[in-house]
Amino acid sequence: MNTNRIVPISRHTHDESLRDLLKKLNIGMTPPEARKIVSILGRDPHIVELFIFDIEWSEHCSYKSSRSTLKKYLPTDAPNVILGPGEDSGIIRFTDALDGETYSIVIAHESHNHPSQVLPVEGAATGIGGIVRDVDCMGAHVCAVADGLRFGNPAGAQPARTRWIIRGVVDGIWQYGNAMGVPNLAGDVYFDDSFDDNCLVNVVSLGIVKTSRIIRSRVPTEARNEPYDLILAGKPTDSSGFGGVTFASDILDASQDDKRRGAVQVHDPFIKNILIMRKANRAVLDLAFERDIPIGMKDLGGGGLACASSEICSASGFGAEIDLDCVHTSMDDLPPEVIACGETQERFIFAVPRSFTREVLDIYNTVWELPAEANGAGARCIGRVLEEPIYRIRHHGEVVCEAPIEQITSGIRYERADCECRHEGMEPEGLPPDNLADALLSILGSLNGCSRLPIYRHYDTEVQGAAVLRPGEADAGVIAPLELTENCPAGIALSVDGNPNVGAIDPYWGGATAVAEAMRNVVATGAIPRALTDCLNYGNPENPSAFRQFVDGVRGIADAARQLSQLDLPDAPVAVVSGNVSFYNESAQGLAIKPSPIVACVGTMPDFARAMTIHFKNPGNRIILVGERRPELGGSAYYRIVRGVDGTKPLTVKWREERAAMAAVHTLISHGYACACHDISDGGFATALAEMCLSHRRTRLLGAHVVFTQPPIPADQFLFAETGGFILEIPPDHLKECTAILNASGGVWYDCGCVTETPELLIEIAQTARIHLPVQDMRLAWLRGLEEIV
Amino acid sequence: MNQSDPITIAVIQYPGTNCEYETASAVEAAGMSAEIFRWNRHPEELIRFDGYVLAGGFSYQDRVRAGAIAAKKQIIGTLIREAAIGKPVLGICNGAQILIESGLVPGNHPGHVEMSLASNAAAGWRGYFCDWVYLRCQEKGASGAFNLDFTPGEIIPMPVAHAEGRFVSSDPALLDRITQSDQIAFRYCDAEGRYQPSFPINPNGSFLNAAGIYNPEGNVLAFMPHPERAAWMRQIPLDLDGSLRTATLEHCRMPGPGLRFFTSMKRFISNRRTGR
Repeated sequence: MNTNRIVPISRHTHDESLRDLLKKLNIGMTPPEARKIVSILGRDPHIVELFIFDIEWSEHCSYKSSRSTLKKYLPTDAPNVILGPGEDSGIIRFTDALDGETYSIVIAHESHNHPSQVLPVEGAATGIGGIVRDVDCMGAHVCAVADGLRFGNPAGAQPARTRWIIRGVVDGIWQYGNAMGVPNLAGDVYFDDSFDDNCLVNVVSLGIVKTSRIIRSRVPTEARNEPYDLILAGKPTDSSGFGGVTFASDILDASQDDKRRGAVQVHDPFIKNILIMRKANRAVLDLAFERDIPIGMKDLGGGGLACASSEICSASGFGAEIDLDCVHTSMDDLPPEVIACGETQERFIFAVPRSFTREVLDIYNTVWELPAEANGAGARCIGRVLEEPIYRIRHHGEVVCEAPIEQITSGIRYERADCECRHEGMEPEGLPPDNLADALLSILGSLNGCSRLPIYRHYDTEVQGAAVLRPGEADAGVIAPLELTENCPAGIALSVDGNPNVGAIDPYWGGATAVAEAMRNVVATGAIPRALTDCLNYGNPENPSAFRQFVDGVRGIADAARQLSQLDLPDAPVAVVSGNVSFYNESAQGLAIKPSPIVACVGTMPDFARAMTIHFKNPGNRIILVGERRPELGGSAYYRIVRGVDGTKPLTVKWREERAAMAAVHTLISHGYACACHDISDGGFATALAEMCLSHRRTRLLGAHVVFTQPPIPADQFLFAETGGFILEIPPDHLKECTAILNASGGVWYDCGCVTETPELLIEIAQTARIHLPVQDMRLAWLRGLEEIV
Repeated sequence: MNQSDPITIAVIQYPGTNCEYETASAVEAAGMSAEIFRWNRHPEELIRFDGYVLAGGFSYQDRVRAGAIAAKKQIIGTLIREAAIGKPVLGICNGAQILIESGLVPGNHPGHVEMSLASNAAAGWRGYFCDWVYLRCQEKGASGAFNLDFTPGEIIPMPVAHAEGRFVSSDPALLDRITQSDQIAFRYCDAEGRYQPSFPINPNGSFLNAAGIYNPEGNVLAFMPHPERAAWMRQIPLDLDGSLRTATLEHCRMPGPGLRFFTSMKRFISNRRTGR
């Protein structure tokens, strides 16, 4: 090794001087962690080794603070789970198709929060770019993306910066997803001051794969019998995204924004389209399956080549030898640590038998002409699989890294301290407002209550031709991904949820209600919830109260996933099959975001034609409210927008009632008894009912008239409590069956009114309250809420 | 050529194309056979096809201008020659941009660019726009290959998804000529068929609400909306005014209005073969 590039850690006996040295080198690890490397290697590390350990031991890669909590609580297995957390994506069984094949759903969920805060377009775009690679590398066809977005307040302390971030993130999402060719089918958005200095950009991707053709992110065991090469395919390596993982594992200091921008990756959906959209990668996999050649494949994400090449080999007990001189780069003289650890986007690594290498290279370099058509992209053989578990990197003929491979990939663990953190909230004072119609209008026109049309109209929802229900049409996006190719009508529903205002009052219920809401949205389309993914967005885990928020959120998610369980398999949890933890979501001033677990739920249905939208269909149909209203308005839109307080009693979930309501609604829809269904969430019953009258497309609007004679709680709370539940539209001739099913469920329900030809919303509660509004007025407020902001 | 030979269509695939698979499915659903044809295959292999579809997407990442680089590839020279002998060519979205950039549309001088598909200019929107709109078929009857199966003046729903869909030309005489020679195949309208110029009825600010323009001979169409995304009833949103979709699988699988672009193409090819 070149001694000039050996980092003399052992020479620094004092933490202070070692900390200075690490800081100067832009290394995020602590002095004790650096010394641990010296003891592992038995010598001081080369700079390349130091960077590799820094990445592998970062919070982002090693989950060092979160792993023991996740392992302790989350249910990750169920009869339909094929692959739980551990590789790039989770996989669950989907359906059998006419061709006799079994198909599976591949799903992954990540955050790209910090990059999106400092460079919104690039940050959000590479978020989408990264998550689709995770799904593609399992051998799947990527057929949907979704995103959970949390922005600062555009009318808050930094309006210009916040709007710049909002527009940039939306632009980044469409510029990437639309160009690559993946429909954007779901998502949710909240605006809140606590995200001013730290927006959240969570991305979810979903794919379909023949179960017999799943590719693993590991070198096949056949590599014991014949030589295997490592092939790097995609964009030429450059210096972009160097230090991205370390950046993601630190707090955000706005004064450092300029410096941090270099750590954000650069997106190229054009190259990605050639790689993954049934083009080059597909050709490699098809050829491998046709000839029965075992291969491994993994995407390059955080930590770049070093991370991906070490993990794909160590996953099955192999070692690797990488020659950095063989890596195609877009600039000369890149330092070896940048080639090894930079996070240039649009790259994959393959482990293939040497006899297959030439053909794989030809697919990228000749058939798809990547070098000429895409600025020097292409595929190169950059190393080989070693039988002995050693990870070695050469550069200019010299060894710049040599370590036991499992030491590199096994990471480190911390048991973090936690302590309780009480939310200081207030219940509203005085009497409820006299005019509840105005209250409803202000919720419908609010940032968090209005139509998301100005956002999702930028997203291509139609590409691939499989969309059944799009954003705005239903509570969850629904696709029929096998209809076109296999004539198989099975549908997939996808929803992304998590109300930060609940988590702010009680982190446990923040997690639990996120799961319940995501599941409810899926059920409202007629699907059965089959799996969850979570992205856990919290503050600094070294701060005991922030760590407690994380632990409580995980407990809430875990309890909900077990208690609500799969509707047709009561003993099977809706397993959490993939996810991500994002810590350090706080500003240098110590302002942490509201605890924000964001949960995605994927559901399945046998016949997409039965999928349910939220819009009223026919005047005269009955309106049914399913689920009791409870006086827990903490964090509700009504308290925050109309009463000006957060409240103290968080929204909760009553497991048995919630599950019974979901089961009954699913039964009703699958029998074809309902013709519209909407779940109750933000803004409560009144808002949900209004939304069923609203559509940006329809010009002929319908109204609703409902009456409650004996509400169990005060009228304002009854109308705006966000207790889970559903509103159904039932044709009169199905009322009898509907009554029987709902009575059998044992829950509370109301046959409360009917759909009207007159486009007016009329809600009457005993003698105490009345809302009477033209639907057109509500529509204007609802459509204008985000005007001038996106 | 024998009347009973199967009709084969090449769906052109460039790096960055992303609608080729569903477009090929729509071609097949119309009773023709489709082959996805990679841009760098030998151009002579193209000659055996009866017609061509340039599928949507972002060829070459819209570098320079959308469609500009794709239009310079060798394959386009072959397409110009095949179009000149009367074979039908449909360009959808990015495919339409490629036809404009190759001069095949408006087609007075194929190979020479006469028009442009400029960035959307609609008050109240910036950037990419994706939603369902209504289109009205030319009222005097079909002047070309791709609307033979529509009734004159028929109103249909279809999705658009683009950031550069505004047909423009610096030559007002050219726009007059396109209008007078009935080269505008479809125009954006409201649900009642009125040609309102305002967003979102006209989603991009195109002149005369033009959504698709033919060459003078009517065998080449540059069309911005996506017929392959309205080729089956299941694809049509339930909250569109007058949506006919019902909740039965049988109905969802029936042809949607977009499929008739492809059945028209088939009819046009059959007519050519029989010399009609």
